[in-house]
Amino acid sequence: MTGQIVIAPMLVALSTAILALLARFDGRVEKAVSLVGAGGYAVAVAALFDAVVLAPGGPTTLTYGVSDWQAPFGIVLVADALSAFMLALAAPVVVAAAVYSVVSVDERGQRLSYHPLFHFMVLGVSGAFLTGDVFNLFVWFEVMLMSSYVLVLFYSGREHTRAALGYVVLNLLASALMLVAIGGLYATTGTLNMADMARRLADPAAYGVAVAPTLGLGALLLSVFAVKAGTVPFHFWVPSAYRAAPAPVTAVLAGVVKKVGVYAVIRLFFTVFGGAAYASTSTFAYVGPVLMLLAGASIILGGVGAAGREDVDGLLAFSSIGQVGFIVLPLGAAMTVPAATTTLAGAETMLAVLGVTAALVYSLTHALAKPLLFLASGTIRSALGTTDFAQLGGLARRTPLLAGGFLLGSLALVGVPPILGFFGKLLVFRTVAEGIAAGMPAGALAAATMLVGAILTIAYVTRGWNQVFWGEPTERVQQLIPVRWGRSRFAGDGDAGSSSIAPDGGPSTVTDRALVVQVAVVVALALGLVGLGVGAEVVVDAATDAAHAATGTDAYVEAVAPVDPGAEYSPSHAAGAANASDGSHSLDASAAVDGGER
Amino acid sequence: MSDDAVAGDRSAAADREAATERAVRESYDRHTTVIARTVVRVVVPIILVTAVGLLLQGHNRPGGGFIGAVLTATAFVLVYVIFGMEYLQDDFLGLRAADGGSHAAVEYYRWLFAAGLALAAGSGMAPLIAGLPFLTQAVLFLHHIPLYGEFELASAFAFDLGVYLTVVGGLLTVLGEVGSE
Amino acid sequence: MTAQVVLAATLGLLFALGTFLVLRRDVVRVVWGVSIISQAANVYLITMGGLSGGAPIGSFGEGAPPTDPLVQALVLTAIVIGFGTTALALVLTYRVYEEHGTIDTHALAEADPDRASADGGTANRAVTATHDGPLDTETTDDRMTHGGDER
Repeated sequence: MTGQIVIAPMLVALSTAILALLARFDGRVEKAVSLVGAGGYAVAVAALFDAVVLAPGGPTTLTYGVSDWQAPFGIVLVADALSAFMLALAAPVVVAAAVYSVVSVDERGQRLSYHPLFHFMVLGVSGAFLTGDVFNLFVWFEVMLMSSYVLVLFYSGREHTRAALGYVVLNLLASALMLVAIGGLYATTGTLNMADMARRLADPAAYGVAVAPTLGLGALLLSVFAVKAGTVPFHFWVPSAYRAAPAPVTAVLAGVVKKVGVYAVIRLFFTVFGGAAYASTSTFAYVGPVLMLLAGASIILGGVGAAGREDVDGLLAFSSIGQVGFIVLPLGAAMTVPAATTTLAGAETMLAVLGVTAALVYSLTHALAKPLLFLASGTIRSALGTTDFAQLGGLARRTPLLAGGFLLGSLALVGVPPILGFFGKLLVFRTVAEGIAAGMPAGALAAATMLVGAILTIAYVTRGWNQVFWGEPTERVQQLIPVRWGRSRFAGDGDAGSSSIAPDGGPSTVTDRALVVQVAVVVALALGLVGLGVGAEVVVDAATDAAHAATGTDAYVEAVAPVDPGAEYSPSHAAGAANASDGSHSLDASAAVDGGER
Repeated sequence: MSDDAVAGDRSAAADREAATERAVRESYDRHTTVIARTVVRVVVPIILVTAVGLLLQGHNRPGGGFIGAVLTATAFVLVYVIFGMEYLQDDFLGLRAADGGSHAAVEYYRWLFAAGLALAAGSGMAPLIAGLPFLTQAVLFLHHIPLYGEFELASAFAFDLGVYLTVVGGLLTVLGEVGSE
Repeated sequence: MTAQVVLAATLGLLFALGTFLVLRRDVVRVVWGVSIISQAANVYLITMGGLSGGAPIGSFGEGAPPTDPLVQALVLTAIVIGFGTTALALVLTYRVYEEHGTIDTHALAEADPDRASADGGTANRAVTATHDGPLDTETTDDRMTHGGDER
């Protein structure tokens, strides 16, 4: 019975989306459903985290056979410490964005089913984190992306339509490539279940699996995940899509959807391919240098790009390219050290654990800080109608709370103690340092890249802060926010300016109460960053558990315990594998109920 | 849904000629031949029956909710192309222009969509009450039914029906919105 | 074996055609290219399942051993997803045409706000435009994608 907790986050998101769809006759009911659903999602994730990570006797792995089918025949959901960590990272962003959406999305947005789409996106994200099946991962990617296409495109102005078209086309191509890679993996390994695939790849001779093709297919998958994560050769959709989407959607895209790409890299390349070896060299040796290149290029390009932008949104979008570089770098470093590449069971080396831990802690920092900054930018836009540096200035005097939140978010990116960002950066630097000590090739170059990236981060964050919050208030700021927010309670502030610059849309549609809520969300996220920084030990412990789960291929396989269909199993004539795959309800339908063990 | 449509088709038989004339007159530059109109009149009921057949057997034979729904939507597309949107909305679905015309029809499709989604998800969640995993299916064979003999009652049919309603609702919404452009 | 060769050649042709179309300037052709590539991926999946054997459904245990049913189930899912996304992309193209009056990517690039971000007024215009987009098209797409999610 307790097994139901595994699927709870997905069911909550699905129910919320459908109920919000059914509640569309009344905007207020729909908003209430959305809020309650986001809260319920957080509760479900907390319960799952409690059951998995805080279980008595250490972190455990829960599995859930959808429709009561056993792995590898049916789709299994696997909640290990890594999945639980990623869900716990997503939940606060989802709640913050949902609260922000309720006050910031206008009537027209609601008629376009904003709230149902938002929760469908959350459903896709949760599904991607929980699934233990490669094809199912593709399906959840699609659910997530389809909702995001609409959220990015149809709430934006006409100027962004063309730019966001690139986002759609690129992701459609990536989806097709992912399908090809999955088809190839199925033909090569004869299974789609991640645990089963890991088992077969770890012992290719016993199962008659050729490892060589999986290297190429892995490269294909890596490029697909790089598109999702927005690292350098595939980064160009990031700025235009982030500018086009409304602030809460951008917050979820930057905070959570990007991390799905990172999660997929960790899950597939550490857990599934981690045990595989070709020509007595671990697959790490082939993937690691590529990851290092992607990460280094992202750090430099993102940093330089962000330093050159003339508006807050653009700065933040380029910054998130650079920050993803910092997340991927420790993964690459952990893969390229000689110990990892030559040992056949090299997945669970100390450095691999450290690298994944660093990536996860940095992901958590970024998942909280970047939504905070995007929501702050959205608040500025809804109050002033623009985020261009030329028209902003001196906001610190008008909105000290918003400025404080923005400052904490910026400092988290820079990595100043006691904010969580410090520990993220510390772990990333430590991974690279230990990698160099262990003889990582081009280690000095990696360290130099990281330093340059860190300096660039300081540069663009300072520039953004100076331009927006310091100095004398510009004419536009004086006109729209004549007195300090909070001084005159709900009177004056935004409404005073709404008549003077009506065409901007922002001030005329946003009430003061809404602005107060928006600022409150930003401040809450900022406090969360500081709180987690103070209690960083807990975070690092949880991330270490997650890293052990990610690198412990054997434990993963054992927990999922896929049934062995027989050694004579041949992938091209898999007659017996009547699989209850997603969408094939015509196949799994006749499954008679025979008492669940759960 | 499609049964209603078929029923409406039959009841509207008397004034079909007049409605057709009106639809042709009202539609902008649509001139369809007598042959096309006659063929569609014969073919559409067949398509609808086939679609329902595919839906009903979908849980353990070739077919299913999705393909049944696509066929149903195809029938609507045929009526729409040959007789025009006004005919489809006014006479086929019984939504008069006074009720809001195109807008009312799309609203109706949307409810269909949401209801289908709720049905599909609900049928998946029902086993949770019994402590079984999500989407667990059951099947019940009814024997000795008068006239029919053996009947197979599968819970998967509820899911299929949900998929059917969702897809019909979604496709017709698209059709209605794009068509009214 | 010959079937495999024929399919391999077909796949190569489809991927080449798709890539060629994706690289064209016309947005509609790009969308066709994307959908051809995703169809090619489906054909590839079917090929990966092996081509010998009978129909896997409808003939339970009769005659020849059935071919792998799993890939067919996967392709069914992928087709449904591709159906939704292609429809979305086409309507999106229509919206691009409606808003910009052209579907030539080069002509569209001229109006790209990212290239004119130095112009201080861009953001203002963007915000203004939010409120006079054509509502009907947007509602359509939104609904369509919903369908795609669940189908």
